[in-house]
Amino acid sequence: MRALDGTDPRQFIADFFTSFMADLVRGDEDTALVVDRYHTPDIVQIADGSRMDRAKLIAHARPAQKHQPDARWEVHEALADGDRIAARYTLHFQNRKREGSVEVHFFGEFADDGRMRRAHLLTRTLPVRPTSAPPPPEAPADGQVPA
Amino acid sequence: MTVGVYRVAGMACGHCERFVTEQIERIPGVTGVAVDVELDTVTVTSDRPLDVGEVRAAVEEAGYELP
Repeated sequence: MRALDGTDPRQFIADFFTSFMADLVRGDEDTALVVDRYHTPDIVQIADGSRMDRAKLIAHARPAQKHQPDARWEVHEALADGDRIAARYTLHFQNRKREGSVEVHFFGEFADDGRMRRAHLLTRTLPVRPTSAPPPPEAPADGQVPA
Repeated sequence: MTVGVYRVAGMACGHCERFVTEQIERIPGVTGVAVDVELDTVTVTSDRPLDVGEVRAAVEEAGYELP
């Protein structure tokens, strides 16, 4: 984990979540230790109106390990202002039972050492695209422009 | 009709609610599931008495725990 100061906020957000989840999924450390490495003790996350403090975040991290063993964060855009970041990203996850994507609008505040102190998230589950969907129509040939 | 309230650890958002609801709804006899993420509770309505083991298995299948 690295500090926000001087780093590209888009890369910072992607690295933060990717590294946090990788440490969780590796499973060779106590979940609380991993959560504390990435969050300050006074962490407050409000996701879709539900408030999570440190204890609740630790409890939530355990099922997250199962749901997101193969997760990828696609950060579309991110803006930094001092110790705060606003970002829009899509979390793609896959496990043995399900796969899907969740669109997230994120506002967060980070400590000088890069740990998360506060976050507000609004999320939306994206519809699953059928793998057998027909391919999109071909582009018009010879530079023809559709009406 | 039977109504049972269970404490479930680790739920935090609407996605948690959906995962838990989907699994409990698969238990035969279940007619309704109401999740309260803030209170860590799940209220299950069924047309027969449920064994806590059935509910525990469904919750664990969703990735959560009945403490």
